Parts: sequence; C-alpha cells; structure tokens
Amino acid sequence: MKDIFTDLYNKVLGFFRQTEKKEEESAKEVACNRLKFVLMQDRTNLTPELMDRMRKELVELLSKYVEMDKEALELGFEQEGNQMALMLSIPVLRAKEEAEIEAVLAEEDAKKAEAEANKQENSEEENEESSEENETENEEESENEELEIEISEEETEITEESENQPSKKKTKTSKK
Amino acid sequence: MTATCEKVIEKDSKKGDIMSGRVIVITSGKGGVGKTTTNANIGTALAKAGKKVVMIDTDLGLRNLDLLLGLENRIVYTIVDVVEERCKLKQALVKDKKNPNLCLLAAAQTRDKTAVTEEQLKNICEELQKEFDFILVDCPAGIEQGFQNAVAGASEAIVVTTPEMSAVRDADRIIGLLEAREEIKSYKLLLNRVRPNMIKSNDMMSVDDVVEILSAQLIGIIPEDTGIITSTNKGEPIVNDEKSLAGQAYRNVAKRIIGEDVPFLNLEEDTGVVAKVKKFFAGLIGKEK
Ligand SMILES: Nc1ncnc2c1ncn2[C@@H]1O[C@H](COP(=O)(O)OP(=O)(O)OP(=O)(O)O)[C@@H](O)[C@H]1O
Ligand SMILES: [Mg+2]
Repeated sequence: MKDIFTDLYNKVLGFFRQTEKKEEESAKEVACNRLKFVLMQDRTNLTPELMDRMRKELVELLSKYVEMDKEALELGFEQEGNQMALMLSIPVLRAKEEAEIEAVLAEEDAKKAEAEANKQENSEEENEESSEENETENEEESENEELEIEISEEETEITEESENQPSKKKTKTSKK
Repeated sequence: MTATCEKVIEKDSKKGDIMSGRVIVITSGKGGVGKTTTNANIGTALAKAGKKVVMIDTDLGLRNLDLLLGLENRIVYTIVDVVEERCKLKQALVKDKKNPNLCLLAAAQTRDKTAVTEEQLKNICEELQKEFDFILVDCPAGIEQGFQNAVAGASEAIVVTTPEMSAVRDADRIIGLLEAREEIKSYKLLLNRVRPNMIKSNDMMSVDDVVEILSAQLIGIIPEDTGIITSTNKGEPIVNDEKSLAGQAYRNVAKRIIGEDVPFLNLEEDTGVVAKVKKFFAGLIGKEK
C-alpha cells in the first residue's frame, strides 16, 4: 500500500522535474552552481562523505516524526551576503499519527535505558576486575594487564579525536 | 555591472608628518592569473600619478616583475642580498627607465622561498614605508611560505582572479586566509581576463556572479587583451598605452586606490569594426523611423 503511494509521488515529482529541466543549463549556470557547492564544502570543512553522513543522520532523526521522501531530501548551504545558512528541504509524504510517533519514541527511550544499564554493568565489572587483580596470582595478572592496556588505548584515541575537532573548525567556518 | 567603487583606504599619506606608505600585497592563490601584470601596471600608473612607488618581487626563484618593466638588465642586487647584508636596501632599489618615482626590489632568481623570512620582509616594508607612498608586493602563487612572506608586511591586499572556477575557488581560499590575519585591514577583488562576448553568450561567469560568490568588494575589471602580451614582450606596461582598454582599466584601478570614485568601464559595449558597422546601420534605421 505504502509502495503504491510512493510510486505515485515519484511519478508526479518526475513529471515536474522533467518540465523544469526543459531548458538546458548554460555553461555559466553550471559553473556558478558547481562553484557555490564546492566553496561551501571548502568553507565548512565538510567533505562529501561528511555531508552524506549528516544527510543520513538527519533522515534517521526526522523519520521519527514525519514520513518523508528520503531520496528527495535536499541539504545544502546557501550564502546570503555574509551570512551562511544550512538549508534543508524535505518533501513530506504523510503526517504520522500521534500514537505512531509516540510508539517510536517510546521504543527508542527503552533502548537508551537498556544501553545505559549495560554500560553501568560493564563499568561495575571493570571495577571488580581491577580490585580482583590485586589479589590474583602473577599469571592471571599479566592477562588482565593486557586487557587493560587495550582499554586505555581506546580511551586515548577518543580524547584525541575530540581535541582535534574544534581546532579543525577554527580554520574557516564563516566569513566576517 | 552594479558594484560601485569605494575608497580602498581611508587614510592617504600626508606629506609633512613622517611618511608612512601603504603596503599592498597582490595575491591570488592560483598561478598565472595576472598578479605580476597587475603589479607592474598599477605601480606604473600610481607613479605616473605622482606617487612614490616601490614594487617588491617576492617570487623567489621565479622572478618576472623585472621583465614586465623592462628592467632585467639593470638589476645588480636582489632582496636576498639585502637580507644577507651584502648591500644596503637603497642600493638594491632599481629605478624605472622613464619614471624616477618608480622603483623595483627584485627577487633572487637562484634562491628558493626560504631565503627570506616573514620577519625580514616585514622589516623591509617598514623601512620602505618611510620613503615611499606605496609599497606593492608581488606574491608568488600558492598558500605556502611564499604567500605568508609576501603578506607579512602588508595591511591591504588585492586579490586577483579570473572568471574561471578554479581561480575563483583559490581566491576564496586566499580571502579566508586574509580574513584570518589581523594585520590585513582591507582586501579588494580585481577580476582579470574578462571576456564580454563569452559573458554575453552565458558561456562564462559574469563579473556580478564572481562578486556575489566571493562577496568581496571590487577594485577593477580588466578585459582579456592581447595587447597585454605584446606589452610584456616589449617590457612596457600597458598603462603607458593611452588607447588600450586594458590600460584604461588599470589606470582606473590606480585612481580608485588613491581614493577617486571612478565608474567601472562598460566592457559589454562592442568596439570591433563589425560592431561599428552594426551601429552605423542601426543609426540609419533609427533615423528612418
Ligand atoms: N588581461 C589579460 N589579457 C591577456 N593576457 C593576460 C591578461 N592578464 C595576464 N595575461 C597573461 O597571462 C600570463 C600570466 O600573467 P602573470 O605573469 O601576470 O600572472 P601571475 O599571476 O603573476 O603568474 P604567477 O602565478 O606565475 O606569478 C602572462 O602571459 C600575461 O601576459
Ligand atoms: Mg607572477
């Protein structure tokens, strides 16, 4: 049923796009559009991969609240004078029922709570392990040490990443 | 072409108090868009207008400014000789053949970009500011050390670009870097190699397109002109040619730098023989009506 609906929507959309594209873009227009796009990437430090990821995450987020045409979601930057704006355009296929939205959100909340609980359990286990470590014999100790090293490596990687990001943004986010 | 010209700089050096010349770096990011041509022409035009001008070629290893000015045979010392103290700064300044107001501090052809530091260039600029109204710094292409050096002593910049995608993209990069530098108080855009016919047929970005995309203020529009190539061959900047349109465009840039409000040339006006014939007939038809 849903498929029929999206099919129809795509057909209608396709029709409009065709009529829009009747006149071919001039070399000047192509140059302007490509340039605007690439400059926004340069200025925001957002690579096509990052833009794609942002798009996917936005689709995921917004799908909770509305049923939309995921393919037709348009994301881009626009410059108005010295101000840069993030423009998002999403064709909405259908409004969701209140109950539907709440069900999705409730499910998500439940998942979050579960993940939180797991995390706490894990950290408790870790604490237990480290306290045990003092008591155990040499052989076992060495095994535990290895495990710990791995964990600490992971931790440093994460902090490095979060330290790097803000400095990257400094290079050029917007024009004065 | 809507943009109106604005004063590049509010202050103009006043004779009387200790002279403090304006240091303007001419830069672009992309190579070959016309930095050196612009430097030679603006420098010559400013000197003709009675200003004391010195040009510094910082393109170490790839010096060209001397050729464009026809001074290549007069160079004894270079900027590297100055920083390595083989001569005094004044000794290294080469006077122009025609205009004693115009001087050149040449780049060394045999050394690389590391032969001069930012600090040294800054000191040279400060020294020259006492003697000259304008210090024009010809910047090498790129955004590496050569660029950093050239910008070091400047407080104004002219960003040269052409209406081509790669040149505009690089200009945007340069503008970003200039904005990040506190010492740079203002920068202006100079659009070179403009082809009115291609713009008219929508085959090329227009002046307005480029200005809008870069959201920068315009200081000049220079047409594509084969005369620039012949003038380079002769070692004589095209501003000396009173009949040349590109020369006129560069003279206007110099006037704007000094603070005059000069309208931009209308390059869209046809000037060829065919156009004149067309106009003639259009006139006849007009009269018949
Ligand atoms: N308006 C113009 N019309 C026609 N030719 C031009 C124009 N401007 C520049 N040129 C030509 O383009 C070439 C490059 O110019 P120029 O050397 O001034 O560029 P540049 O930015 O200094 O290059 P580089 O980055 O190598 O230092 C030269 O051959 C010059 O004659
Ligand atoms: Mg050059």
